Amino acid sequence: MVEILEESRGKDGRRILKVARENLVALMANLKDQGFDHLSLITGVDRKDRLEVVYHIHSLKKNEYIVVKTETLDERVPSLTSLYDSANWDEREQYDLMGIIFEGHPNLKRMFLPENWAGHPLRKNYDLLKVQYINMDENGEDYATFDSGDGW
Amino acid sequence: MTEITKSKDLGNGWVELNIGPQHPSTHGVLRLKVKLDGEIIREVEPVIGYLHRNAEKICELDYYCDSLIYFDRMDYVGAMNMEVGYLEAAEKLLGIPPPERVKWIRVIMAELSRIAAHLVWAGAFGLDLGMLTPFFYCFIEREKILRVFTETCGSRQETNYMSIGGVYQDFNDKIVYDIEEFIEQFPAKLEVIFNAYVKNDIFISRNKGIGILEPEVAISYGVTGPMLRASGIDYDVRKAEPYLVYDKVNFDIPVSYKKDNLARFLVRFEEMRQSIKIIGQAIKKIPDGPYFNPKAKKSLMIRLRGEGETYARTESPKGEFGVYLVGDGGVKPYRVRVRSPSFKNLSVLPVLAKDVMIADMVAISGTIDLVFGEVDR
Repeated sequence: MVEILEESRGKDGRRILKVARENLVALMANLKDQGFDHLSLITGVDRKDRLEVVYHIHSLKKNEYIVVKTETLDERVPSLTSLYDSANWDEREQYDLMGIIFEGHPNLKRMFLPENWAGHPLRKNYDLLKVQYINMDENGEDYATFDSGDGW
Repeated sequence: MTEITKSKDLGNGWVELNIGPQHPSTHGVLRLKVKLDGEIIREVEPVIGYLHRNAEKICELDYYCDSLIYFDRMDYVGAMNMEVGYLEAAEKLLGIPPPERVKWIRVIMAELSRIAAHLVWAGAFGLDLGMLTPFFYCFIEREKILRVFTETCGSRQETNYMSIGGVYQDFNDKIVYDIEEFIEQFPAKLEVIFNAYVKNDIFISRNKGIGILEPEVAISYGVTGPMLRASGIDYDVRKAEPYLVYDKVNFDIPVSYKKDNLARFLVRFEEMRQSIKIIGQAIKKIPDGPYFNPKAKKSLMIRLRGEGETYARTESPKGEFGVYLVGDGGVKPYRVRVRSPSFKNLSVLPVLAKDVMIADMVAISGTIDLVFGEVDR
């Protein structure tokens, strides 16, 4: 049995389970066995001193819904790609925009932005005034620069 | 200017080819890196982000009521559904429920918008397969819906019609008459479009048995909407977790067990017929009353404060559209997260387009119904 740190209900009446980072995969595997087969959404929330990762899962057959939360101080959480295929792109997106490193992800690349983009835009301390330009190399891959370059 | 569509020999007889991002059959700015063995695709990797604007960050910097216009620009062919999705979450968080009349108005507008979105898909899917004619018929019908939108809110596509706790303008008799006239003549026109497709042997042979999506794969990849229902799973958020007044109208969820391209085509067409059924009931049942909640008057709108967190799911034309809002008690949301159905549906393309002909891949990506405003956000 996995230890649940806290159980509460959101404003919309959904059940929220809070779990320690080490127990996340065990809890999700447990829930998947109970019929929660659809990992709907992975969200990273920047709480300034720590990062919170929120998983929305539901069961198509039983029509139930659960929200699982975990926290991390060093930007690292275990990947769920071994359990759900949909975790693959969602985790890449959260890595790209929020800077959460999912340990054990097979292909942790940026989803939207070029690979060398500086910073993670959804962080609260991201500098919005810094201008970055996107250029294209001869293989068709994008890269970011701080000056306008030839492409402009 | 660099040549982007050049091919590269990989040694084992395979060739790497770039399709897109500016290619007429990719429905926007989708870039596909494919590895070809002759004309057969062995591997495909979608590369996205060419329309990325980070709407989630922009919403964090704005008041609750201002974020709505960025949602319009996500699924820009079915904008009303996006508005409904955001407002379901925002109204729960802020504690401002809409009046009864508004709920009915929103259902009517959302369903009209769903038909408009499916008509764009139906036309563009024909173009993918080299059929030009149905495209024009689809857009003639879509134009009638857009005219209703113009009359109600002054805008065709990015309508910005709804607001927190209400709608921008009430329905008048002229609008009700126009909608009634539309739903009266539309079913016959829809059959014309439908027959233009299904009575064409080439269309059938290019779609039957192509792009099989097994239900277990679909669930694991988080596929929702018409794609999931075409794989034989009877799941629709409008029935599973009814929002607005969907529990007070009668309609069926079309399901197909054939799992292929043709099944997805048939499910979407049947959905349009069901939408007409919903609008027909709603326009008769719509009650009198105020069209906005007095707690959300225009002058008070920017002072609305939200605390806690809420997640709302709605059924958009592409699938399950979810909005997760976190508030910290301020006038701006702390975190906005959007679950866009097209993004999840696209992630299954590498499975669907494995070991198929390159021309079939275009047909398969056509049935996914991609809108890049929503994939990239």
